[in-house]
Amino acid sequence: MINVADLISESSLPGNYFAPDAYVQGDFESGLIENRQGRRLLALPDTLLKGLYRGLASEVGPAAGMVLYNCGCKWGKNFFRRFSEEVSNYYQKPVEQMEMIELIQCLKQCWKAHGWGIIEPNFSYYQQGFLVVKVKHSAFASTVESAEKPSCYVEAGLLSAFFSELSGTNLHCIQTSCESLGASSNQFILGLATRLKPAEAMVEERKSHSAIMQSLCQER
Amino acid sequence: MITDIDSLLYQAEAEYLSHQDLANFKSQIFSLEKRLQIYETIRAKETEIFQNVANQLSSNFSQEPEKIRRALKHWLTILRYCGMAMLSENPLYLKHRILEWLPEQIKAHQMQDLEQNLFSLLQKRLKRILNSEQFSILQPYLEQAEAALLR
Repeated sequence: MINVADLISESSLPGNYFAPDAYVQGDFESGLIENRQGRRLLALPDTLLKGLYRGLASEVGPAAGMVLYNCGCKWGKNFFRRFSEEVSNYYQKPVEQMEMIELIQCLKQCWKAHGWGIIEPNFSYYQQGFLVVKVKHSAFASTVESAEKPSCYVEAGLLSAFFSELSGTNLHCIQTSCESLGASSNQFILGLATRLKPAEAMVEERKSHSAIMQSLCQER
Repeated sequence: MITDIDSLLYQAEAEYLSHQDLANFKSQIFSLEKRLQIYETIRAKETEIFQNVANQLSSNFSQEPEKIRRALKHWLTILRYCGMAMLSENPLYLKHRILEWLPEQIKAHQMQDLEQNLFSLLQKRLKRILNSEQFSILQPYLEQAEAALLR
């Protein structure tokens, strides 16, 4: 027989750590925002981001994408560390011991609480060695100007580092569709760099996400 | 409700509250007292409520003790959040803190049947613990949870 008193005393019963009204705390007088652990959050205006992108493009030209991707990777590593710490503390178990569905739910809520969009990882291609991530209302796409191909390099780098840290394997990330080009969502494919190599040319050729996915899975 | 009282407090900075405002304030305080009583009852009888539900669930789903434990944990949490949402009259609190959090986990574990059964048993138990007026105050929050998690 299940003893409810034991059940209550032996387990913590937490809800959504990243509920926006609890996670983001602000102080109007000081103009500061911080998360529920008291760590500072930074709000970046669109104008500043657009200025940074333009400045970088004029300084390094076509290499700007690579620079931003690497920035995203570096940020992603730190982000994963902070995310793991906060989630482990709140749910009182290491990230490695959390169920995947619970962890992914944390990531989705975290993404939303930070205002980065609605993220939806898709593990259907796990057996083929790929992870697909879809992001709607991406904050990263909203600052891209006059792009000719998917250009959310920071977001791609962030995803690459996050899932590399999570899986313990170096995963590359390629964006295959972009809201800044009129697509309904940003889509990304993550996998080993060697397996993703053919996708780079296909993105340049403006092939659709589904066509790229089909081609990658056939090449196995 | 907290927001309503807040707005009256701000209003009182500029002038004495009108009769109508004071009547509104009294009504809010009276309502808060009732809600506090409901909250205290649920809190005090949490174990009793859920032990009864657990016993019945164990006979209905005897092959799945782990799933029952998981579902009980879900609803222990949900009822706690429903209680606070009811106390503060804040459905958004319930939505953000738990109803955007649990549905996919329930779906992934394929527990809808069990959780639906648990919800029915929980409602029956709450109707016995609370009087009809008290239950009607809590009910919208239970229904909000049911709509988000089980439909």
